[in-house]
Amino acid sequence: MTNREVLVVVESINGNLADISLELIAAGLKVKHQIEGTLTVLLCCVQAQTQSEAINCQGVDNVIYVNLEQDNNYSEANAKVLEKVVIDRAPKIVLAPHTVNGYAYGPLTASKLGAAFASDVISIDCESGVVRATRSIYENKVQMEISFPGAGLVFMLVRGAVYEAAKPGGNGVTVAYNITDFTADMKSTHLEFIPAPVSSIDIAKSEFILSIGRGIGSEENVDRFAKLAEKLGATLACSRPLADAGWLSKPHQVGLSGKMAASCKVYLALGISGAVQHLHGMKHVDTIIAVNTDPAAPIFNVAKYGVCADIFEFADALEEAL
Amino acid sequence: MITRELFYGFSSSGIAFFYIIGFSVIAFFLFGIYRHIRKYAKGKELVTKVDLLQNIKKAAIDIFSHKTIKRRDRYAGLAHSLVFYGFLIAFIGTSIITLEYDITKPLFGITFWHGYFYLIFSLILDLGGLAMFVGIIMLMIRRSSFGLEKLGYIRKYRGENSPRPIARIWKRGDWFFLILLLLIVISGFVQEGIRLAIDNPEWKHWSPVGVVVANILSSIIDVESAGATIRSVNWWFHGLIALSFIALVPWYKAKHIITAIGSLMFRDPMALKRLPRIPVVDVTDSEHEEIVGVSKIEEFDWKNLLHLDACTKCGRCHEACPARDSGYALSPRDFILDLRTYNETAAAGDGVNLIGDIISPETLWACRSCGACQEICPVGIEHPTMIIQMRRHLVDQGKMDPLLQSVLSNLSDKGNSFGESPKSRADWVKTLEFPVKDIRKEPSTYMWFVGDYAAFDPRNQIVSRTVARLFKVAGVDFGLLHEGEKNAGNDIRRVGEEGLFETLVEENLEAFNKAQTFQSIITTDPHSYNTIKNEYPEYGETPDIEHYTTVIANLLESGKLKVRKPLNKRVTFHDPCHLGRLNGGYEPPRKILELIGCELVEMPRNRDNSFCCGAGGGRIWIPDDPGTAKPSESRMEEAAKLGAIDYFITCCPKDLTMFEDARKTSGHEDDFLVKDIAELVAEAIELDKLSLKDVPQLMEDMANVIVDKVIKSVNENVDQIIQTRLEIFKQSYDASLTKPLIRGESALELAAAVEQHVATPENEMTVPQEAMTSEIIASDKRPVETHAPKEPATEVITQSALPKALGSVLDVTWELNKLSPISFADLDVEPKNKIRIFVAVKHVGKILSAFSIQENHSDVAGEFIDYEFNEFDDNALEAALRLKEKHDTINGEGSAEVIAVTVGDESAEDTLRKALAKGADRAIRVWNDSLIGADPFVLAQILAGVAEREDVDFIFTGVQSADKANGATGAIVAGILNRDCAAVVVDLEWDGGSSILVSRELEGGVIEKLQMPTSTVFTVQIGSFEPRFASMRMIKQAKKKEIKVIEFNDSMQSQSTPGCRIERLYQPAVDRAEMLEGSVTDIANKIKEIIEGAK
Repeated sequence: MTNREVLVVVESINGNLADISLELIAAGLKVKHQIEGTLTVLLCCVQAQTQSEAINCQGVDNVIYVNLEQDNNYSEANAKVLEKVVIDRAPKIVLAPHTVNGYAYGPLTASKLGAAFASDVISIDCESGVVRATRSIYENKVQMEISFPGAGLVFMLVRGAVYEAAKPGGNGVTVAYNITDFTADMKSTHLEFIPAPVSSIDIAKSEFILSIGRGIGSEENVDRFAKLAEKLGATLACSRPLADAGWLSKPHQVGLSGKMAASCKVYLALGISGAVQHLHGMKHVDTIIAVNTDPAAPIFNVAKYGVCADIFEFADALEEAL
Repeated sequence: MITRELFYGFSSSGIAFFYIIGFSVIAFFLFGIYRHIRKYAKGKELVTKVDLLQNIKKAAIDIFSHKTIKRRDRYAGLAHSLVFYGFLIAFIGTSIITLEYDITKPLFGITFWHGYFYLIFSLILDLGGLAMFVGIIMLMIRRSSFGLEKLGYIRKYRGENSPRPIARIWKRGDWFFLILLLLIVISGFVQEGIRLAIDNPEWKHWSPVGVVVANILSSIIDVESAGATIRSVNWWFHGLIALSFIALVPWYKAKHIITAIGSLMFRDPMALKRLPRIPVVDVTDSEHEEIVGVSKIEEFDWKNLLHLDACTKCGRCHEACPARDSGYALSPRDFILDLRTYNETAAAGDGVNLIGDIISPETLWACRSCGACQEICPVGIEHPTMIIQMRRHLVDQGKMDPLLQSVLSNLSDKGNSFGESPKSRADWVKTLEFPVKDIRKEPSTYMWFVGDYAAFDPRNQIVSRTVARLFKVAGVDFGLLHEGEKNAGNDIRRVGEEGLFETLVEENLEAFNKAQTFQSIITTDPHSYNTIKNEYPEYGETPDIEHYTTVIANLLESGKLKVRKPLNKRVTFHDPCHLGRLNGGYEPPRKILELIGCELVEMPRNRDNSFCCGAGGGRIWIPDDPGTAKPSESRMEEAAKLGAIDYFITCCPKDLTMFEDARKTSGHEDDFLVKDIAELVAEAIELDKLSLKDVPQLMEDMANVIVDKVIKSVNENVDQIIQTRLEIFKQSYDASLTKPLIRGESALELAAAVEQHVATPENEMTVPQEAMTSEIIASDKRPVETHAPKEPATEVITQSALPKALGSVLDVTWELNKLSPISFADLDVEPKNKIRIFVAVKHVGKILSAFSIQENHSDVAGEFIDYEFNEFDDNALEAALRLKEKHDTINGEGSAEVIAVTVGDESAEDTLRKALAKGADRAIRVWNDSLIGADPFVLAQILAGVAEREDVDFIFTGVQSADKANGATGAIVAGILNRDCAAVVVDLEWDGGSSILVSRELEGGVIEKLQMPTSTVFTVQIGSFEPRFASMRMIKQAKKKEIKVIEFNDSMQSQSTPGCRIERLYQPAVDRAEMLEGSVTDIANKIKEIIEGAK
């Protein structure tokens, strides 16, 4: 019987296991079952063995970790480790996270291995070993289904937040992998991590945004919605007229001349009619909920859920519901 | 003899002394004039020739009627005309005396200054003197006690509370001028009075003022004893100050006596309506660079320099300016005065940059080019033209607001300021009840030039549809250019992007030419109207254009539009600057309002004094500083003060946008509505009760109903269809196979069924793609409306072109096979003599909101894709250019070069041109049609091949392409070339050594700093290296740079690599929002769940 290994690469930076790691293991588990193979998880970081427990999820067969003595250029380190591990183990499927580091070591390693490759994959089907993956292109407007004919090794970078995290508590065999002094011939030197500034509002990074528009009427009402946002745990944002009027500072503004709600998953738009310029900054968001008194407001064309109601009444009701 | 002796009681030496002084004065005066002429001679030739005769006529009318001074300030007009005519009479009188005394009498012995001529002369001069006296006193009163803020020269908009030193000098100069004139007048009358008192001629009553003065003098002094002394002393006093006045004319405020005439004489009757072109300079044979715009004083034309000196500081422009009114850093008067002050002492090569050193960029960008300043300027100064010429320089330098920069980029890519696809320009007609002609295919009476706002802005789209319906009802035959129309360019030109303006003009003129026959153009947009009417003819034959207000007024008057319900509304009307002030279209909208039964209440600032909404001159694309008042809000206040207004009416799309906003932000939401005039007409003719459908259209609709029914029944029988379909597959190995396009909910299962079927080995088929066009239901190429009202699952699923036998990964043995670069060994490469910086750029597609997939599934159908420079790569190019500049500063100019490389068809050269325009030195394009749909591995092998062949030192590219978003190309290139890769780079610091300090942006905004070798492949994050602006001029110049094209062929590929194959493309179902119904509490609970579920 041929080797039917699924190799999943997970990441940990600054002592924190990346969220995507357990999701990737879940994706790997699905593939493992489909090809009736084995699942190996690979982690390369500082003090990797302390995190090997966390990635030893149910269904994982092997955990391989590579201990680094200090923070390193993880892109380069992972590329070296991964290349070696793949050559050693000859898996059929490699799944790596579509992260900033994954961007670098993923395609780079794939090109050195001669693996078939796809990035930013959002779903994988491996029934009977026939690998089919789905990617999103054109700003998520088009889904692309791909296959890898003739490939003996398929290497995929998987997007975060598409698989449910795998459950911990597995009993895979944990092995430390010793790569002799590979850090010695590293071409680059890691200098430092600079944490993101904490206090400042960052629309681009916020996953949940409560955005207000001219529908709030006057400046005095801003506080009311700021409170609601706080209670919801949402970042308060606004449309251009509010920022122009100085009711909220410029960093709050979403849209062409403001910020892109780049990481946003839920966008609650209150009293925003949906000018083209505003839509530009948020129409890509998956879950847009729009509340407006005008049933013909263009915002409803991009929203997933619409509510035709007075935003103050709605805000009161929502606050009560919390 | 009835006359008076000129030099009464003078010795000949006294007369000679007077003549010496007289000639000196004239010499000093002429010297002053000469200095000014020399100053103006620095300026450039006029671009727009003036019709001097016509202009002199117009100037004469303006000067003698004083109408430019009387406007909006009758007091000042009256006072000035008294001084003016008094002065003129005195001047003519003095000239007549000189004519006799110094010319006709000594040369020909002819005299005429006596008898009745003398008496009438005396009377007129006497009255003239009186007029002047009264006028001066009036002006002094105005200046001292009218409390006119504008005459204090304090720049409140700059936070000043007291006059600056120069403003104090100006104020003293103003008073000096008045006092000097007053002294001349008074001393003149004293001279006359004392003469009359002493000589007491019997004709003295011909000098009535003189007699009064004589009587007063007689009552306060002893004429017998003191008269002669006073007569002699006052004569010299009067004579000397009069001569001083003349001598000083060119040197201070009085110079406007001459410069204003000059300024008015050379006034451009088309000023601002039609901006001067940038003279075409042939730069190929000269070393000096083409000068774009004005940043040095001598780059203005001489007339502009004359304008500077013509300014009387009257402040009318200052008061009229909407930017100044809202607290922006612009007063047209101060703009002129600052330039003038500098120009007094400006010297060639003094290194002064007008922009920044004299006039701040903020001042230039504050202008709305509404023309209010030049409209009211009594001396014909053309401020906006000068401002725009300076903006041209700023734009050429790429110094502008980032938002404006992105708008200009959108305009050059897409031809519209919204950044929308050109193909969606006519989307607004889709919801009309009747078809609208495409004038590129069908002739019509009018070609409707829609303009960006009317075509793309949702609020204005409603107006556009209303206008279309009005035309339909009235039987007006019109057609649209669809994507043939580009932004007309009016505001682009006023922003200062002359190159882009010219490109847009050329494209639109070409579209006009290519269109089917039509009589004239109509538009709702005054901005488009202005430029097409006034500026386009300079570039080619341009059809006539009418504003829709004229058309609708005619339709109402001729009864083609019938008012059924006079509105009886109290309305006010805002004159759009570009319609009214610039093109005189004041009456048609008023006529319409009258005909539909509205009571028009004019705002104080109406017609030529209309107050700009603040959108003009490209300001609609430049964000206002937070907290600043807006002109549009000031306008709302003005309207609200009228009281009990139902509607605030506009007839300009930009106005509608600005005032809809301002009504809300200025707190007048409950006071009145902002409406386009067409919306009122629609109400008055009860448009909603009229049928708009054509009869043929009705038939088409009936046909559609039938088709829908058929499809419905087909869907209901889909199982049967699947059966049929399977049969077809089984039977048609050699037949032309089909591309099923199936509507309905079962489509997915169908696709799955078909796929299952074809995946079985015995059904493996090889059918040429072009044979696969027969249809099972209907080959519906109509794009799917993603925002269409919810229909039951209209998702279009298109099955893969070819049924494929997909192998299992388990059946193939993997072999280690490192990718190698494509070999471009045969490619000629220049010997390397400088550092090479390689930037991979991509011409990326952006798809329309409605689109369909290509039949062979390689991509979205081409007609639904617009292409543009991948923004990530634009950032990468910027990073590369900065690195090159750094290298140049370390190792000398020209020691490094940037090579932009792309894999793409010929259309990708647009992106390469842009890269060249921004500063890339060379460009290479690799292509072969076999590369359509190529995966990142192949693209990277090609790029790596070029990089290797060119022996490049640095490699940059964007993190990902905006279309396919693999985010892998850069890293694969690195892998192939055995280089390292730094992904998502946000900053680079390099000191010229062999390593470089890299900042990368990790998840959650964490920045990682690394020291990496310069050979690293950098993939650059969007927004981290703000790309520089490539003006259209630079893009055009970049056309001269060569793009090397490399034909790729499969034989270059030495290894076969496993790739990924596209099986199918499909659209995820997108719908209009699911509207939640129920009590607000229920909804809130539901939303809470949704939020929790989605997070």
